[in-house]
Amino acid sequence: MAKPAAHIEVENLVVRYGGATAVNGVSFRVQPGEQLTLLGPSGCGKTTTLRAIAGLERPSAGVIRIGRAPVYSAADGVDVPAEKRGLSMVFQSYAIWPHMTVFNNVAYGLRVRGAAKSEIDAKVREALALVQMAGFESRPASQLSGGQQQRVALARACVFSPQVLLFDEPLSNLDAKLRADMRIELRELQHRLGITSVYVTHDLEEALAMSDHIVVMRNGTIEQIGSPAEIYNLPRNAFVADFVGSANLIRGRLRDDLAADGLTALETSGGHIVFGMAHGRQAGSEPTFSVRTVHLRLSPAPPPAARNVWPVRVRRCVFQGDFTQAHVAWGDRELIVRGAAMAPLADGAEAFLSVDPACCVLLEDA
Amino acid sequence: MSADKTNGSTRRAVLKSGAALAALPLAGKVFAQPARAPTKVLDFHTYADVGKAEAEGQLVFYCHENEAGTAAIMEGFGKDFPKIKTGYVRAQTGALYNKIVSERAAGRFDVDVIQLSDLAPALDFQKKGGYEIYASPEAAAYAPEHLSDPHGAFFWTGVSFAGIAYSKAKVKPEESPKNWKDLLDPRWRNAMSCKISSSGIQFVQWYMFRKLYGADFWKEFSKQRPRAFDSRVQLFDRLAKGDDKVCAIAEYAAYVLYKEKGAEVAFVAPADGMPATPLLVGMVRRAPHPEAAKLFVDWAMSGRGQAFYQDNPNLIYGSLRKDAPPMRTGERLRDFKLLSPEDYADYMASRDQFSKEWAAMLGL
Amino acid sequence: MRHWRPDFSTQTLVGGAVALVAAALVLYPIYFLFQAALNIGDPEAKPPTDYGFDNFLNLGQYGEILLNTVSVSLAATVLALLFGFVTAWILSRTNVPGRHVLEQLMAVPYYVTPLLGAFAWSLLGAPESGFINQVWRALGGEDHLIDIATPWGIAWVMALFEGSVAFVMIGAVMKSMDPALEEASQIIGAGRLRTMLRITLPLVAPGVLGAAIFVFAEMLGSFSAALVLGLPNRFYVVTTAMYQLVSQYPPRIPLAAAMGVSLFAVMFAMLFVYRRIVTRRSYVTITGKAFRPRVMDVGALRFVLLAVCVLYLLLSVALPLLTLLYASVQKIAVAFPAAGNWTFDNFRTATTMNAVRSALANSLVLGLATATIGVVLMGLLAWIIYRARMPGRGVIEYIVMFPQAVPRLVFAFGMMWAWLIFPVPIYGTLWLLLIAYLTVFMPLGIRTIAGVMLQVDRTLEESAQMCGAPWAYRIGTVTMPLLAPGLLAAWLLLFIASVRELGASILLMGPYAKVITPAIVESWFASSAELTAAMALIQTLVVAVAMALFVALTRRAQLVRE
Repeated sequence: MAKPAAHIEVENLVVRYGGATAVNGVSFRVQPGEQLTLLGPSGCGKTTTLRAIAGLERPSAGVIRIGRAPVYSAADGVDVPAEKRGLSMVFQSYAIWPHMTVFNNVAYGLRVRGAAKSEIDAKVREALALVQMAGFESRPASQLSGGQQQRVALARACVFSPQVLLFDEPLSNLDAKLRADMRIELRELQHRLGITSVYVTHDLEEALAMSDHIVVMRNGTIEQIGSPAEIYNLPRNAFVADFVGSANLIRGRLRDDLAADGLTALETSGGHIVFGMAHGRQAGSEPTFSVRTVHLRLSPAPPPAARNVWPVRVRRCVFQGDFTQAHVAWGDRELIVRGAAMAPLADGAEAFLSVDPACCVLLEDA
Repeated sequence: MSADKTNGSTRRAVLKSGAALAALPLAGKVFAQPARAPTKVLDFHTYADVGKAEAEGQLVFYCHENEAGTAAIMEGFGKDFPKIKTGYVRAQTGALYNKIVSERAAGRFDVDVIQLSDLAPALDFQKKGGYEIYASPEAAAYAPEHLSDPHGAFFWTGVSFAGIAYSKAKVKPEESPKNWKDLLDPRWRNAMSCKISSSGIQFVQWYMFRKLYGADFWKEFSKQRPRAFDSRVQLFDRLAKGDDKVCAIAEYAAYVLYKEKGAEVAFVAPADGMPATPLLVGMVRRAPHPEAAKLFVDWAMSGRGQAFYQDNPNLIYGSLRKDAPPMRTGERLRDFKLLSPEDYADYMASRDQFSKEWAAMLGL
Repeated sequence: MRHWRPDFSTQTLVGGAVALVAAALVLYPIYFLFQAALNIGDPEAKPPTDYGFDNFLNLGQYGEILLNTVSVSLAATVLALLFGFVTAWILSRTNVPGRHVLEQLMAVPYYVTPLLGAFAWSLLGAPESGFINQVWRALGGEDHLIDIATPWGIAWVMALFEGSVAFVMIGAVMKSMDPALEEASQIIGAGRLRTMLRITLPLVAPGVLGAAIFVFAEMLGSFSAALVLGLPNRFYVVTTAMYQLVSQYPPRIPLAAAMGVSLFAVMFAMLFVYRRIVTRRSYVTITGKAFRPRVMDVGALRFVLLAVCVLYLLLSVALPLLTLLYASVQKIAVAFPAAGNWTFDNFRTATTMNAVRSALANSLVLGLATATIGVVLMGLLAWIIYRARMPGRGVIEYIVMFPQAVPRLVFAFGMMWAWLIFPVPIYGTLWLLLIAYLTVFMPLGIRTIAGVMLQVDRTLEESAQMCGAPWAYRIGTVTMPLLAPGLLAAWLLLFIASVRELGASILLMGPYAKVITPAIVESWFASSAELTAAMALIQTLVVAVAMALFVALTRRAQLVRE
């Protein structure tokens, strides 16, 4: 099943529905063999973008290329129908055909391409084995559970060795445990086959676990593109900071006079001086640091660090199993601290809050 | 009233109408019939090529009769000539004539023979040149007044006449109407039936009573709020069930039929006479099956066909053939006092007025 | 967007062709209808010599007819809604026994057409000869108990039949209501009655209103009951008046056409309003979840409610059929027949009458053709309108729903004119009837198929697309098999509708193109009621047998496939 994967280019894609603009000038590239995830809240246009790449939605402007060949170009009047783009797709609802057996579901794409019966037989069995559904060939599709349907959908999508695999929130209908397992399986499969994939999800963990690159979208535009680590550690703006993991946003006045050791200093309205890193970004009119809740430390005794240490009062501590979340009063506002295995502190207790300046990230000019 | 006088007035009336026909300006052409000897088929003569007729294999008949009657006529012909498949359309004369005219105006010539129950549309059709002029060898058996003029367009295949009928269950004999004017008695309000305006015989009745009793008769009549129906069978059905008490235009043929069925209905032949209308059969020009059409006309004119028309319980027309036997009931047409229009030009001209008045009487 | 390369896929070509055919079928006769209505010159002249609005101005004289139409339709609508609402409520909200069976049975009145109902109720309720009145008099009553040949009688017959339509529509509304909404009210403390009045009724009101408007529009255009019961008593509604005007001699075509156009305008307006009300919720109702409404336990009352439902079914189905049977075996139908009054002659005559046999055969053939061609044609149209991405599909939807706004008779009127002058000689043949049926049944067929189509998730077709399947292959391997049950239902509906069609057929029949329902009506007006009853029963039986056969055959085919 090794065919050279193509890479995908999307340029200035615009998709309109009647009066509303669902996708408003989106551009990105997908490298061969990599998984790119479109991440964002509902209504951000990620599914629309995916369907536009698939050919199931007609865009209003822009270019989409697959392996250098344009499959959609507004300027040149090109719009290749979905069935001719050589793509494959796994739908959120799996879209397994209830009136066919598992075998016939999976064999569909091969039959369309006029493959020989023996070839079909072999490839279908191979695909089913790949998704651990061997032995289910003659089962009527209507008798499958959700997880089984999902695997069959995957087998069906892979069986004819497509250039590209598109995933439209394929795991969102599964329960949490199964989702976690399937995530890993999908990732392994994708690596093994070396297929380029575009993946859509609203689930942060999924995106972070599976992707080579993530495109964070909101309201039809791209907020940030980058690797999972980049997105997580270096969010560009407040939205990304708070959508990808939880963050405290600390606004302040730039204090260039205190800047030292390559650090940037902000003075908050509460009078605190916070040191952080600019990462080459310009501070705008409202300089803001993004500080992840898991990077803040609470300790009963003052830590040895020189910078970014403040006495605080704990307002409330909430036990959440894998971590504990503390709300602390800090100057004129509240900060949220998350810590795994953090000893719960009593309400009203005094403690010291500290954070490594490297974990305070200056957000880009809005 | 002596029988002689009755005979005389009947014959005179009918003769008069025949003569009146001659006075009408008719743009008809008289085709000379081919000098051929008629062939004898079954027990009558025809100029039609029977072999060709059977090869044509079909006959399309438009008729005013009710369904059972039309089907009966077709059955009668079909029994004698089984190779000819018969098809018919039936509608009350007015509607039927509409259909024929609009079809021909649109260039459709689907029908072979038509039968109408009113001279007015027949004359109109003749004037338009709609009939094929075919002089049947059987025509000799008819008086000239019972054929079209010039003859060959249509002939009088029978006469239907109507008196008064009432439901014996609902009306006591002493209360029953004896003459036409008795129908205006308020006791018959909402309990009387008549026929719709497309009926030939209804037109005759309207015309004749205007002459006899004046236009006021119908004004009074409309106050009775009669119910109008399409067929005489329906009228008698309702009488038999008691849905109506009196029928203002009860055709004798239907009375005979229902009496035989055992219905409790009574018939009154008013002294002033009974409106009668001829039933006219003629072959149509540009008929799709001309030989079959000619064969049918001859059959209908023949003693055989006429016997059928007289005796079939759904028809029971009085025959005008000179050598016809008595009707089913043993009577003859000349035993009845019949009323027919004399001035056909006037009769035809008043058709529109009749339609309007009748429609208005019935609320439309 | 410059130089757009058009995509001449099979989909576009077929879609375009089908849409054009549909548009032609619908618009061609409508044009002639309007032409006739605006013709103030010589009615015989073709094409018309003079155009104007005089015919419409003359309509004022016939105000009584317009008033009759509206009043009978209103009465029938109110009654039908009553039947529909009550039965829908009982069967979806209470724990009446045998709910599922009853729900299935509620569809049966639809198959007992208003024509049969009119015949039967005429036999039952004629003031003099009606069975009910005869029984009344035998029990000592005076005069008559009911008179069916009145506006209320007509409304009654119409409502009995239309009640099952109202039931289906209102039932659907009730099923689409989330029971959580009522539960929320009750948890807060409102009692059952208060909940019903303040929560349930306002929620179902728009849907019920929509059903009311739809039913009213249908009643405006109805023909059979008014024909059988109203015509003899000089009670006209617009449709029967049109029929009368066209059959008169000389015919008054322009007046009839003006009446037709007026009726068309009113119905069009009503259906426009209906669609505005419904479309706001339509896809939510069709594709959204169907809730299972909370069922109330009504205790012993449930037997009373069962009786109510059974009573409706009795009145609309059992009683008419039994009455017809009773009448058909008598020489002269009375309530208390004498020993000598029994006969099988009516059946003998009915079965041997050539006209009946050929009419029945024609109807069956026509039904088969209409249903089969119709399913394909309307299936494609439904696909184009609700699934495809073709431009202009909104316009197509409007056009194909047109015939719903036009009473069948009015439509046939336009067709009569339109096809009379058509160069190909189909006038007076079964072909014309086929075309007429396909046209007037388009809304029915498309609605049925669309309903099922919309339940088939779009992604099922899209996934086939993503597997590389072109349009025709997708339709054949995915869409059609999934739609099969819906297509079957549509086939049956179309078959039955065409066999029992009256309004269009009565104007368009020809000598060799007789069909059974108008033949039965003609028989009613031109021969005995008993013979007509026999004919009607034969027709019902034949249709029932044909349906049963079809269902059995397709069930076998499905089993074989699996």
